[in-house]
Amino acid sequence: MILQDRKLGQSMKTIRNRQILASITGLGITLGIAFVVMIAMILIMSETPGRTVYFFFAGPWLNTYYLGNMLNAAVPLILTGLGISFAFRSSMFNLGGEGQVYAGGLAATALCLMLPDLPGILGIPASLLVAITAGALIAGLSGFLKYKWRTDELISSFLLSNALIFIVDNIITGPLHDKDNNLLTTPKIAEQYWFTRIFPPSNLNLSVVFVILLAVIAYFYMFRTHQGYEMRMSGLNPEFARYGGINVSRYFILPMLLSGGFHGLAGAVSVMGTQHMLFKGFSGGMGWNGIAVALIARNHPIAVIPAAVFFAYLDAGAKSAMINSDVTMEIASVVQAVVFFLVTSQVIQHLIKPRRKTA
Amino acid sequence: MNNGEFSIPLVHNSIGIMTPFLLAGIGGLMTELAGMLNIALEGLILLGAFFSVIFVAGTDSLILGLALGILITIGFSWLFGAVTLYLKANVFITGLATNLLAGGLTTVLAFYLFGTKGVLMFEGLPRLPVLNIPVLHGIPVVGDILFGHNILVYLGWLLVAAAWILIYRTPFGYRLRGTGSNPEALIAAGLKPRRYQMSAILISGFTCGLAGSVLTLNLGAYVPNISSGRGWIALVVIYLGGKTPLGILAASFVFGLAESLSNYAQGYVDIPADFILAFPYLITVVAMTIMSIIKHRKAQ
Repeated sequence: MILQDRKLGQSMKTIRNRQILASITGLGITLGIAFVVMIAMILIMSETPGRTVYFFFAGPWLNTYYLGNMLNAAVPLILTGLGISFAFRSSMFNLGGEGQVYAGGLAATALCLMLPDLPGILGIPASLLVAITAGALIAGLSGFLKYKWRTDELISSFLLSNALIFIVDNIITGPLHDKDNNLLTTPKIAEQYWFTRIFPPSNLNLSVVFVILLAVIAYFYMFRTHQGYEMRMSGLNPEFARYGGINVSRYFILPMLLSGGFHGLAGAVSVMGTQHMLFKGFSGGMGWNGIAVALIARNHPIAVIPAAVFFAYLDAGAKSAMINSDVTMEIASVVQAVVFFLVTSQVIQHLIKPRRKTA
Repeated sequence: MNNGEFSIPLVHNSIGIMTPFLLAGIGGLMTELAGMLNIALEGLILLGAFFSVIFVAGTDSLILGLALGILITIGFSWLFGAVTLYLKANVFITGLATNLLAGGLTTVLAFYLFGTKGVLMFEGLPRLPVLNIPVLHGIPVVGDILFGHNILVYLGWLLVAAAWILIYRTPFGYRLRGTGSNPEALIAAGLKPRRYQMSAILISGFTCGLAGSVLTLNLGAYVPNISSGRGWIALVVIYLGGKTPLGILAASFVFGLAESLSNYAQGYVDIPADFILAFPYLITVVAMTIMSIIKHRKAQ
């Protein structure tokens, strides 16, 4: 009996391993196609395709400044990727990431500007907290509407976020506008709020350590706690979860609060770690790319880290190609779109079938 | 202020403004009936707007340029459909991909072709003909409201009728609806649901191409991200309209009126432009919530 169980356990393990292998192969094919598309685009559009391709691939590694900035750009993407992973694991579609990041950034900036003399030891946690709260409340509202009246959270979160983007725009160019210059920005926040840089001259700062730690905590919460289990079950099979005594509708709100909180935090981290101010269009795709990051990582908190670095690499490569050659950096969005197109394809994922081996 | 002087142009403008919602809504209705949430409408409108204006400018022919622009938009909808249906990807994610692709590709192409990421102005662009029937135009109020629009507005109305016939009076329509509501029955009858889903997606590519072309050809210019949320509003229009062609006509008029009103309000009250831009999204989310409350009450 015990022997049989063990055999079963082993063959389950081989199936699982093969599934992971198939998933990685599928991802490899997806990324391969994305790079082919990119190179084709460069060949067509660039006068100096060799130079463009070189700077796209090598640019981010050329010096500590580029490398550090690329890694730093991955930090908020890890946070938004984690936020989306929690939502998707619970089958809640948070499409409002862009607005939640923006609102989080605004909340943190507003606190920093209003309390310019607060010591950093109080000020930093306080501004992180208001940012998390802002993001959580916005996403939580969509969760609440779903809980209360079954309003589709996919559309409501998107619409709320889009409306918010304009309202935050208005606050940046209105009440919080920096009167000393003509740019569409707020004034700089006081220096005690800035995160310590760890890889000069780049923007990479201490937040990277905390964010990686947070991903590990998220992993334990999701896979090693009772609440994490209930959350995943509610997403995987709500009927079954309800039958098993789980209060499923609770997991309409909680994952959205978590998801929004991570997005708000991403906004605050970008303000306090990198920009030191808020400017119009500041969220620049962090929310959308968080979705792609979570999908590539298959909603796994640890896998979110390399996926975020990959996306940051695409952006950094495109930027480097734009600066050093003759293409515009939006080629990165086209490549990212190709990844989006293919990353959920079941056909591509099952090109290598997890064969059942009789043990 | 004379009441009629104010309200007639208001309604007249609403009819112009509602047309992209209506066109995209009709196409989105087809995919909705086939059981797919088509969030790619937004990106398809943008692609339609971009390609029709550059082809009209390039060929200097309204008909040829429009046809090419729409054909290309249909091509992109085919890509969206093929990945979703044949490579079995999540329709929601491929929809996002289409929107992301539209935003990126239009910018990349504009930069490659015209060397700018900003507004593309086309001097002397052939304009959409405006329908004026002198005899009917003389009818007070109704004449002023219904005539003097460009031909794509009337094409939109024709498409409402065509969609109604297609959905309720043809075998294709029955099967299309069956694809969404009972795909097993369709398969049992020896039919392929995927074929109907693909047809619906291609139709949405066609109508979104038209919706986009209304935006740019009316303006005679291309503004980056000119679709600015219209595809999303079209989705809401489909829901508000109870997933019927006539309902969509009514719902898009409501949105046209709302936008027209906020444009007028700008002239009288000092509302920041950002709030005007936020307004359609806010009103949509409120309308959606009210609808779900009503539905929820009914279910109880």
